[in-house]
Amino acid sequence: MSLDDGQTHEPEGGDDMVAAEYVLGTLPAAERAAAARRIETEQDFARTVDRWEVRLAPMAAAYAEVDAPAAAKLAIDRRLFGSTPPQGQTGGIWQNLAFWRGLAGFAVAAMLVLALVPLLTPPAPLSPPARLAASLADPASGVQYLVVYDASRGEIGLSHVSGDAGAGDFELWLIEGGNAPASLGVIPDGASTHLTVAEAHRTLIAPGAVFAISLEPAGGSATGQPTGPVVAAGDLRTI
Amino acid sequence: MIVRVAMRDRAAFDLLYRHTSAKLFGVCLRVLRDRAEAEEALQEVYVKVWTKADRFAISDLSPISWLVAVARNHSIDRLRARRLSAAEIDEAAEVADERPTPEALAVSGGEQEAIARCMDELESDRAAAVRGAYVNGDSYAELAERFSVPLNTMRTWLRRSLLKLRECMER
Repeated sequence: MSLDDGQTHEPEGGDDMVAAEYVLGTLPAAERAAAARRIETEQDFARTVDRWEVRLAPMAAAYAEVDAPAAAKLAIDRRLFGSTPPQGQTGGIWQNLAFWRGLAGFAVAAMLVLALVPLLTPPAPLSPPARLAASLADPASGVQYLVVYDASRGEIGLSHVSGDAGAGDFELWLIEGGNAPASLGVIPDGASTHLTVAEAHRTLIAPGAVFAISLEPAGGSATGQPTGPVVAAGDLRTI
Repeated sequence: MIVRVAMRDRAAFDLLYRHTSAKLFGVCLRVLRDRAEAEEALQEVYVKVWTKADRFAISDLSPISWLVAVARNHSIDRLRARRLSAAEIDEAAEVADERPTPEALAVSGGEQEAIARCMDELESDRAAAVRGAYVNGDSYAELAERFSVPLNTMRTWLRRSLLKLRECMER
């Protein structure tokens, strides 16, 4: 049986079908390798592939989680960092993040990947930091959010870990210097959500500023200032 | 300073690994059906993720879906690069037969429902072929053999099914 039957070089449906078959995984080795090269070099083709990845991604729910052997992590550490990990030497936000481990699962991982991206690209000459993160938590209320602010997009990503607003809504506030809290909006429901920051507030979001969450009536505070209890707060740090 | 940045990266990586490695290992194992090879693939996947994370910025996938896609594509690359023996084809068919599952479709969420509904609109053997290809990384040859149709027929089946799925999910 031949995988290359001679007809495979003129697929009906053109690039779109090549992309679809690439994502489905059924292209024979040579065609698959050719498609992979095009993903690297042709933006339009890469986008077409990405659209198919998005369409078919829900099928990946079929993959069960299987704990990887411990040796795998050691081998990866050697390949990436040249040694095995030192214990307890990390500080700041990451230590804080580590504390959240096990609480938020994929939600934290998701935020992290977003946060990691700029770490891996060469640092651009930025005056305000490109990304800031805060963990907003209060053991008394049990409300916890992990927040990453992306300055380039003026967007705040929120990862909900715990706490429930009941019939009301959580509203996010920016507290900067001695100024009155500025509303950044009602936090949408969901494990991983986004808020777009109004242009006027973007310059105020800087390391040292504080994000706070208050419990408000459904739809948010009607007065422009927090009316309910502050259920979580945390300061912003560069990551 | 460089040391601090390096340590920060590393802690970030540890956290990422902790939260995602079980899912990604599950992907590698399911596609490659061999623990040792899956472990090797997993290592390559994380090295790739770490060095190519900037690619994520141009994807519309959620972070975890993006990671799964990297693992899946890498595992399928390895699978296609392997020499496929008749024994492996038989074995593959057996593994697939063990699970006649509607597994993927029992998960909640709008997208899940959309794809479940659209898979239901396909004839059942074609839906099974699509799922076998996507989830197990089955090749046209393996699927053709399992469903007892010529290879080109299988390719046509899957292409038409993909177009129908897209059409269905867009309406």
